[in-house]
Order: sequence, then C-alpha cells, then structure tokens
Amino acid sequence: MSTTTKLRLEGVSVWYGAQMALRDISLQVPQGVVLALIGPSGCGKSTLLRVVNRLVERSPGAKVQGRVWLDNEDILRRDMDVAQLRRRVGMIFQRPTPFPFSIFDNVAYGPRLHGVKDPVGLRRVVEDSLKQAALWDEVRGKLRRPASGLSGGQQQRLALARALAVDPEVILLDEPTSALDPGAAARIEELVVKLKGRYTVVIVTHNLQQAARVSDLTGFIQAGALIELGETSLIFTAPRDQRTEAYLTGQLE
Amino acid sequence: MSRGRTLHQIAAVATLVAVAALCWVLIALARDGLEHWHWWLLWRYPREIQAGGGVGPEIVNTMTMVSLAEGFSLPLGWCAAVWLSEYVRPSPTVRWLERLFIGLQSIPAIVVGLVAFQVLIGALHWPLSVGTGTVALAILNLPQVVVFSRQAMAGVPQSLREGSLALGATPFQTVWTMVLPASLASLVDQMGLSWARLAGEAALLIFTAGLNVGPHWGWFQPGETLAVHLWSVRTEGLMPDRASLAAETGILLIAMTALAIVAAKLLSNRITRRQRGPGRGRGGDRE
Repeated sequence: MSTTTKLRLEGVSVWYGAQMALRDISLQVPQGVVLALIGPSGCGKSTLLRVVNRLVERSPGAKVQGRVWLDNEDILRRDMDVAQLRRRVGMIFQRPTPFPFSIFDNVAYGPRLHGVKDPVGLRRVVEDSLKQAALWDEVRGKLRRPASGLSGGQQQRLALARALAVDPEVILLDEPTSALDPGAAARIEELVVKLKGRYTVVIVTHNLQQAARVSDLTGFIQAGALIELGETSLIFTAPRDQRTEAYLTGQLE
Repeated sequence: MSRGRTLHQIAAVATLVAVAALCWVLIALARDGLEHWHWWLLWRYPREIQAGGGVGPEIVNTMTMVSLAEGFSLPLGWCAAVWLSEYVRPSPTVRWLERLFIGLQSIPAIVVGLVAFQVLIGALHWPLSVGTGTVALAILNLPQVVVFSRQAMAGVPQSLREGSLALGATPFQTVWTMVLPASLASLVDQMGLSWARLAGEAALLIFTAGLNVGPHWGWFQPGETLAVHLWSVRTEGLMPDRASLAAETGILLIAMTALAIVAAKLLSNRITRRQRGPGRGRGGDRE
C-alpha cells in the first residue's frame, strides 16, 4: 500500500436545509487504494461521494463545511475549477445512465468535452476505455448502436468506460451494482479489483460481502458520522466500535 | 361508483360531439372547396372584383412569414428557457418570471397585434408589411416557445445532466451537448404545432401585415397571409366566387398546417428512434 495521501477530508459537514446529512467527517485515502463505505440507508454515504466531486452543490439548500484535499489542493475553495475537478474525479451512479447516443458517442463524450477532435485518437481512447471496462469484446463492431440497447450490466460497464475515457485519478462508485443481477455485479466487482493501484477508488455499497471482497479500507457511516475506518480485514473480523459490530451482525437497519 | 360511471358517460358523449362537430366542419369545407377546386389557385394573384383569382402570394407570405417568425422566436425563447431552467436556482423571482410567461401565452393575439401596431407602425413608422407582420408573429410566439422549451427540458432526466457534469462538462457544455440533444425530439414536435398555430393566425396580422399583397415579394411590401385572406374574402370580398374561394383557401390552410404537424412529428419520432434504438420499451435485455 502506497503511503502518499490522495484524498483527505477534514471536518466535513453537510446540511440539506436544516437537516444535517454529514457531521464532521475526517478521513484519508492513500493513492491507489479502494475505500468502501458501508452503512444503513440514508446515512450520508452517497452525500460524501457527492462532496468529493462537488455534485452536492446541485441539491437545493445544500451547505458544505470543512475541507477536502485532493493531492494537497483544497477542492472546496471558491475559485476551484469544478469542471476540471470532475474530470479528475470520475463517478459511477447507482442506476446505469446511458446517454441517448451511440455506444461510441457515450464513451467519446468526455474526451470530446475536453477538446479531443482527431478521429483516430478518439477511436483509440474509446477502444482502450471499453477494453479496460471489459466491454470491448461484447460491443466491437456495434459501436454505432444506441447505448440503451445494452443490458443493465453492460450499461454500467459502459458508464465505467465513459469515466475512464477522461483519465481520472479518483473514481467514485455510488452503489454501482445495486440495480444489477448477481452475475453482472460480479463483473463490476472484478473490474474494481483490477482498477486498484492505478486509480484511487471510493465505493459506496450496501453489500457487505462486496465491501469485504473489493476494498482495502472500509469505513462505517451511521447517521452522518464516520463511526470507524480501518483495514477491511480488521473491520470485518474485529471491529473496535460496538455500533460497527451491531451493523455487521445485522442488528441494525 | 355510479357517479364515476356517469362521469365516464358524459365524457364519452362530449368526446363524440366534439369529434362529430370537427368532422362536420371538415366535410362541409371539403365539399364546398373541392367542388370548384382549381390548381391555378396555387400560383395566380388574387383578384379584387372578378372571379378567378388565386392565392399564390398568400401562400408564399404564409410560409416565409411564419418560418421567419419561428426563426426569430425559437432561438430567443429557447435561450430564455435555458436560462430559467438550467442556470438560475429556483427563487421567487424565477417563479414569477415563469408565471409571467405562462400568463403571456394567454394574451389574446389581437392585443399583441395592437401593441405591435402602436409601437412598430405608430411610433417607429414601419409600413403595414411582411416585416412588421413577421415581427408581430415572433412576439406572439415567444412565450409559447419559452413554455414548451421548458417542458421539453423538464423531460430530460437529472441523471443525464449529472452524468455529463460528472465527466467534467461545464453547465454550458451540459446544455449544449446533453440537454439539447435529449430534448430535441420534443422541441421539434412542439415547433411543428407552433408553426401550425402561427399559420392560422389572422387577428394580429390584419393591422400589422395588411389585407393585400404587393406586386413583388418584399420585406416592406404588404403581406397578406392565407388566414387573413380567408377572413377578408369572406367578410368584404367582392368577387363572385368568394364562397368557394374561401373554402378552397381554408382547405389549403388546413393542408399546410397538417403537413407541418405531421412532418414535425415524423422528424421527432425519427430522432427518438435514433437515440433510443428500435424496440425500446418492451423491456428485457437484448444481447
């Protein structure tokens, strides 16, 4: 495990109007590591991801306090180029969201935004990204077809390919397999394991086995607070906090 | 239970009455118009007092004025809708503006025409012309465009916007490369309807574009349209064939508007098909 810190949260609190969604979260994610966030529904896990790429600001009444550092750069500061930040921090959503374009145009969407016009280069990026997302073999020769014709699992891998195409440093996954059948979910998990090392990954999941299988670090969030964070093997075998243990043994929720 | 059934029956009868009335109008119009149908109607100039006049210039005026009015009001109204829907955060001012546009939609066309007359012809001394009529049509159409553009954009799922933003798109890029393509089908469909509505507009053109046509088409020439011609032939026409002429003009107008609506709908369906692919909606995975 590398020791340089990629992502650091310092006392992050989030309110939606008067309601507090996250309270005073501090954590560090080393470069190239997979961090899993677990916790009951509505505990604020997804909000935490949305703070990191600043999508949280789109919610009406959202207020964010604290600091988030990406490579020692304060990304919550006012003059931060948010588009540039989101290019470095990719996100996969819970529901597969194929854009209403062809498979090719879905993957090429990001690179085109950032000015890649040369068709040869674009094709190469699309092919590489689809290969990395383990979708290439299923869609080669069909790149001009609408992306909505793909199955749910394929659409989610397409979303991953789309995110990889802009060459991000951090990838946020917001319950990426909750809408998929077990087979499709397993393929996404395999991919997350493969991404480890090259990318820093934060994955929110409801599936405890999934967290145990794919992550190096696990954090348990309850009612907006980070209860415990540690090495996955330790969290699952010997949690220090009673509340974590209660959640893991199914006494919560 | 029985009250619900009674309501159903009333609704069914009302629908039948409405459809029957519409059919009766269409059939009566077709009978009167097609009985004396002459193809030269399409290219001849109108005549004041003799029979045998056509509506050639009126067809040209209708097509150009309505298309130009759409050309002005569509980009403008779309931009206003983008600003309201995509850029500003919901606030009392925005809601107020929104209601204003919805309210403006229901201002009678003749009042819009009166204002256009006062300003463009009265104050600015523009002639009663194609140009003045086009601008008046564009003004009339603007609130409509804002409202239907906003509806089209509301139909674009938030997940597409967030998907685009999450890849590092700026708000402008998100509108231009995601929201616009995703709402294009609906916009095109609505554009056809609004084209048809403007083509049938007479009240505000009577005193902005005039009741006759110039010898040559021109921006500053009088610009009577089909709808206005229909009205003037039937109310103050002196030609002996005015009854059949009015019916023929009516058929022509209906055909043009129907064509606009159907063409827009076909184009809109085609866009949807290209984006969503064939067979969407039946569910299930297709490998």
